[in-house]
Amino acid sequence: MSILLLAHVDTDGSLAKPALEALGAAKELAAGLSVPFDVGLVGGTADAAAVQIGSCGAAQVFGVCAPELTEARYGTDAAAAEAVARVSGADIILVPGTSRWMRVVAGVAQRLGGRVDTHVTECAAAGAEVSVTRWYYKQRIEGVLTRQERPLVLAIEPGTRAPWAGAPSAMAVTPVDVVVPAGRTRVVGVRAPASGEATVRPDAELLLVAGAGWTKKQADGAPHVADAERLILAFLAGARASLGGSKSLVDQSGDGQAVLPFMTHVNQVGQTGASPRHRKGLATCCHGEEPHVVGWRFIGERRAVNLNPNCGWAQGKADVLYVADAFEVMAKVNELLG
Amino acid sequence: MSYHVVVCAGIVPDPLQSLEPVTGPAGPALKNEAMLPAVLDPWAGHALFEAANLVKQQAGSKLWLVSLGPKAKLQQVMMKVAQKVPFEFVAIDGSASGFTDSAAVAEALAGAITAIPGLDQNRLLVFGGWESASRAAGATLQMVGERLGISEQFQGVDSLTVGADDAFEILERIEGGRHQVSVCAGPPAVVGWATGSLREPANNPQLGMTNMRSLMPALQKAAPAAIPSAGTFARVAVPSQRRETRIVKDWTPEAIAKDIAEWIRQ
Amino acid sequence: MDVDIVCAGFGPATGGFLATLGPALVQPDGTPRLESRAVPGLPLQVLCFERADEVGVGVSGVVTRARGIRATFPEIASAGIPLVTPVTSEELVYLLDPVGASRRSRPLRMVDAMLSGAGRLAGVKHHAVQLPYIPAFLQKHGGLAFSLGQFSQWVAGQVMASGAVQIWPASPIAEALFEGDRVAGVRLVDQGTDLRGQPAEGFAPGMDVHADLTVVGDGPVGTVGRMLDARFGLPEGHVRDEWALGMKMVVDLREGVELKPGTVLHTFGYPEPEIFGFLYALSERTVSVGIFVPSWFQSPVRTAYRYLQHWMQHPYLWRWLEGGTLRSWGAKSLQESGRRGEPHLAGDGYARIGEGSGSTNALTGSGVDEAWTTGVLLAEAVIELCAAGDPFTQANIDRAYVARRRASWLDAELRIAEGARDGFDRGLLWGLVGMGLTGLTNGWLRLPARRHAKPRPSLEAYYRGRLTPEEIETIVAAARDAGTAMHDAFMDRCGWPAVPLDGRLLITHQDALLLGGKVQAAAGYADHVQFTSSGQCRVCRTRVCVEMCSGQAITSAGDHGVAFDREKCIHCGACLWNCDFTLDEASGRTNVEFRAGAGGLHSTEN
Repeated sequence: MSILLLAHVDTDGSLAKPALEALGAAKELAAGLSVPFDVGLVGGTADAAAVQIGSCGAAQVFGVCAPELTEARYGTDAAAAEAVARVSGADIILVPGTSRWMRVVAGVAQRLGGRVDTHVTECAAAGAEVSVTRWYYKQRIEGVLTRQERPLVLAIEPGTRAPWAGAPSAMAVTPVDVVVPAGRTRVVGVRAPASGEATVRPDAELLLVAGAGWTKKQADGAPHVADAERLILAFLAGARASLGGSKSLVDQSGDGQAVLPFMTHVNQVGQTGASPRHRKGLATCCHGEEPHVVGWRFIGERRAVNLNPNCGWAQGKADVLYVADAFEVMAKVNELLG
Repeated sequence: MSYHVVVCAGIVPDPLQSLEPVTGPAGPALKNEAMLPAVLDPWAGHALFEAANLVKQQAGSKLWLVSLGPKAKLQQVMMKVAQKVPFEFVAIDGSASGFTDSAAVAEALAGAITAIPGLDQNRLLVFGGWESASRAAGATLQMVGERLGISEQFQGVDSLTVGADDAFEILERIEGGRHQVSVCAGPPAVVGWATGSLREPANNPQLGMTNMRSLMPALQKAAPAAIPSAGTFARVAVPSQRRETRIVKDWTPEAIAKDIAEWIRQ
Repeated sequence: MDVDIVCAGFGPATGGFLATLGPALVQPDGTPRLESRAVPGLPLQVLCFERADEVGVGVSGVVTRARGIRATFPEIASAGIPLVTPVTSEELVYLLDPVGASRRSRPLRMVDAMLSGAGRLAGVKHHAVQLPYIPAFLQKHGGLAFSLGQFSQWVAGQVMASGAVQIWPASPIAEALFEGDRVAGVRLVDQGTDLRGQPAEGFAPGMDVHADLTVVGDGPVGTVGRMLDARFGLPEGHVRDEWALGMKMVVDLREGVELKPGTVLHTFGYPEPEIFGFLYALSERTVSVGIFVPSWFQSPVRTAYRYLQHWMQHPYLWRWLEGGTLRSWGAKSLQESGRRGEPHLAGDGYARIGEGSGSTNALTGSGVDEAWTTGVLLAEAVIELCAAGDPFTQANIDRAYVARRRASWLDAELRIAEGARDGFDRGLLWGLVGMGLTGLTNGWLRLPARRHAKPRPSLEAYYRGRLTPEEIETIVAAARDAGTAMHDAFMDRCGWPAVPLDGRLLITHQDALLLGGKVQAAAGYADHVQFTSSGQCRVCRTRVCVEMCSGQAITSAGDHGVAFDREKCIHCGACLWNCDFTLDEASGRTNVEFRAGAGGLHSTEN
C-alpha cells in the first residue's frame, strides 16, 4: 500500500494550515500502516513549499507546476491531481478539504477509477485496512467504514486535527508533467461579501449564533427588529465575532422581510448551512433550533442565552445556559465590550 | 442561447426530523426510514429553482428533473415539488439512503441522463446541490460530470449570470464567506448549487396539473437501480455529546453580561 | 382554473371518496369512463387541495372496526402499510387517583374509597380496575389498530398512482366561491403576503378553481365547511356544542418492555374524571397513546399537555411507558356532536363528507371508518350522477348521496348515538349510566338530559374551596406579567406533583413540539389565526385560548392581549371552540378567526 498527500501551494509559495493538517494525517496513517508516503504539490511553483515540509519524512515530493495552477479551476486542478496520482500510483490519496479540493476531488477519484470520502475527521490504520471516520446526514450521524476499492481518495476536514509542525529542510521536487487542458473557464477574481464582517469567519475566536427569536414578538406582543439589528452588529464589532444564524432566521431575511437585512444564507449554520469550528460559541434566541444540535457540533465552549430554563436543546448541549432576555443581556454585554 | 438543463435532485428525510441510525444486513439505514417524511434535498431544491429561472429567461430551453429514490417516496415529494416549476421528470427507483456509494449513484444518474431522448450535449447544463443533506459528501455531481465527459465544473455556486456573448459568470463559495468569480464560455457544464438567490416559487396548481401528466407515467416507468452501501461500516452512531449544562437563572442582566464578557475575553 | 370536482382537505373522508371514484374514471383501455365537462375528451378532472405540507401529517392512533375501509380495501391488513395491526385484545380500565389532586365529585370519591378499601378483592391493581366486560357497542374486536398518518399516505399513493386524481398538499383554501347560493368552487389562499395578508414581495393572488362539484371534507375546523355553516346555517334543531381535544403521542417503549401488537386499552377516571385516554400497541415496542379533553370538562384553565403527562405517569400505564421515548406528538379537535351537529349535507354544487358533516359516532368512539364511509357513499352517488349525465344540483345530490347516507348503517348508528353522552354534563357517573343505557338498548332508553353546554364557570367558582380569590388573582396577575399560561400554577397549587422531566418522554411542552414534530411555516402567507376584536382579548381574564393551545402558539402578551406564532400552530382549532367570547350565538362564532394556513407544526411521524 502507498499513500499520497496532495496539496495546493498558495500564491505566496507556501502551504496553508489545512494542507499541513492533512499532511499530519498522511504521516500518521503511513506510520500506522508502516508504509511510506509521498507528497504531491500543485500550484505555480513547488520549491519553497517543499522546503517548508522538508523534514516531514515524505519519501518523495512531486510537483505539478504551471501558471494556470495558481488559480482554482476544475479542469486544470483535476488534470494536475490526476497526473500526480498516476505517477505516484498511490492506493490512498489524502487532500485537505478546502473549497478548492472539494471542487475536484470526487471527479479525480472517478478518473482514477477509485472512490472518495469527504469531510473525513479521522483516518487510521485498522490492521492492514484504512478506517475512515466521517459524517452523514449533515453532521448528525457519524460513520466509521473501510473500503476495498482503490485508489481511495480522502478529503480531510479542516480544523479536525493539529497541523504538522516541523522545521524547514531542503527537499528536492520531482517534477510531474501535465498537459494543462485549455478549458473554457476563466477565473476572474474573488468577491468579498457586501455585508462586511457579518459572516461566518473561520478565523474568529467566537461564533455568535442568532436564532429566529430575535425577530419574534417579544413580551409586549411586538417584534423589535431594529433593536435586534443594532445589538447584534454592535456585538460582532465589540467581540470581533463571526456571525451564524439559524435557517429560519436566514430564510426570513431572504424573503425580503424587514428583518436583519445583513443575514444571508452564507450565515446559515446547522442543517443546510455550515458547521463551523470555533473555540467558543454563544447562542441567543435560538430556542429549539438546529444550531444547538448540528451547527454547534464542532464548537468548543458553548453558552446560550434563553428564556426557557428547560430548553432541551440548550440543556445537555451548552456548557452554560443563562435564563434571561437576550435583548437585555446583549445590550449590557455590548456596553462592557465597549 | 437555449439550454438543456438537467437537475439531479435526490430526496432526503425532512431535515427537521430526529434521525437514528440502525444497522441491517445490507448496511446502515435510518430507523423507520420508510415512515420518515421526505423532502427534496434542500440544496438541490435551490438548483431546481435556479434552473427553472434560467430556462424561463432563455427562450427554447428545457428542464429535466432526475431523481433517485424509492418510488412511493418520490411520489410523495413530487406532490409538493410539481407545483413549483415546470419540468420533465425522470425517476430512478432505488435507495435514497445517505450510506450508499456516491460512485454507484453517479453511475445511475449519468445513465438516466444519457438516456433522455433529444438531450443535446452541446447545450447541456447539469445542475444539482453542492452537497446533499443525506450523504453530505459533495461527490456525486462531479462524478456524474466526469461520466458525461464534462470538465467545466463549479461547486458551491450562489449565482450564474448569462452574459451577452452567451458566456456565463459564476460565483462559487470559498473560504471566509467570499466568492470566487469565474467566467465559463458556455455549456456543457456542471453546476453544484449552494443556496443561490431565488425564493422558493409560490405553489401553482395549474403548473402542478401540467407536470402531473408526465410525472405519474415517469414514476410508473422508473427503472430500478441497485445502489450498494459505501464500503463496510464498522459503526454508525449519533455521537452523544451530552454536556453538563450549568443553568444560570435569577441573575440580573448586568451580572449575566459581566459573566459573558469575561468569558469572551478569556 | 376549471375542473369537474374539487375536494377541500385530504383525510379519511376524502380518501374514501377518491379511492372509490378514482378507479371509476377511466376504462381499462385508458379512455374516459366518466367524461370531463371542464376539459372535453378527458376523464373527469378531480383535484384535492390539502392545507398541510404533506398528507397524513397529524399524529393519530386509530382503532376501528374498519367496516367501510375493508369494503374498499379487503386486503388492507396485509397491504404492507407500516403500523397496521389487527386488534388482538381490548381492555376498559377505570383509573383511580394515585396523587390525590384530581377534582372528583363526592359520589365518585365514594366509589374510589370502596374500590381502594376492597383492594385486590375488587380487582384493584396498579391503582386501577380493569372492567370485567366491555359493552358490545364499544368493542372493536375483529377491527384494526393503525396510524392514521401512515394509512392516509398509503391511500394517497393508491389514489394518485392511477394518474386520474391529483392531491396537492401545502395548498390551503381561503374560501368557497359562490354563484348565488350555488357553490362554484374554491379560492386558494394568497401567497407572497405579509402576516396580515397584505400583498408583499412575490405576491400571487390565490387562484380560483371552478368546479361543478365541491366536495367539502376539510374536517370540523375547516375553512370551507365553516363558511358554508355561516352562510346556510345548520338544519333546524341541530347544534354543535360537543368538542374534544385529542392530544396524542407515538412512543417507543424501553428495551425489554413489549406489548402484544393489537393491544387496545381505553381508560377513564384520571387525571380528571372527564378525561379519557387510550393506548394502542401498533407493534411490539411502538404504542400510540393519548387523552381526550372534552368540552364538558369545565375547567377554565384546561390544558391537554400537562394532563397528558400526569396520565402517562399513572401506575397502570407507567409500568409500560416509563423509560419510553417520544417519537411523535400532535393534537386535533374532534367534533363529537355527531348527527346532532350535522350540517346541510348537500346543496347546489357541493356535498359534505367526513367529520365536519357530523359523521363521528361518540357513543362507539369511532370516527375514521365513519368518515371514510361518507366519502364512499358520495363517490357512488357521483358515479351514478355522472353516468346519467345529471348535474350536481341539490335535488340530484340529495337523491343520490343524502338518500344513500340515510339508508346506510352509518346513519342508523349515528341516530342511536344522538345525545347518548349528554349525561356527562352532570358528571362522570351520570355520563357512564346514560351511555350504557343508550348503547345497550340501541337507543330505546335514554337519560333525560339538557341539550346545551353550560357556560364555563369563573376561576373563583371552579376553584371554590381549594383556592381563595386572592390566591387566584395572584396567579392571574403573575401569569399576565410573565406572558405565560396559568394552568401550571393552578395545577401546582391544587396538588398536582411536578413532572419529573426525563428528557425522553416527560419533556417540556416546548420540547414536545421540537422532538415530536417539525416546527416551521413558510414565509409569504398570512397568519391564519386572527383575533376579531383585540379589545376583547385585552380585557379577557381567562384567555382559555392560551391555556388550551396545543402548540403554545398563542401566548399571553400582558396588557396587549394575545399573540400568535404560526410556526407552532398545529391547526387543532382548539382556540376556536374554547374562546369565551361568542360573537354570534347562532353560528357559534367566537372572537377567534381560524382560517386555513400553510405550514405550522407537523407531527414527526403519523
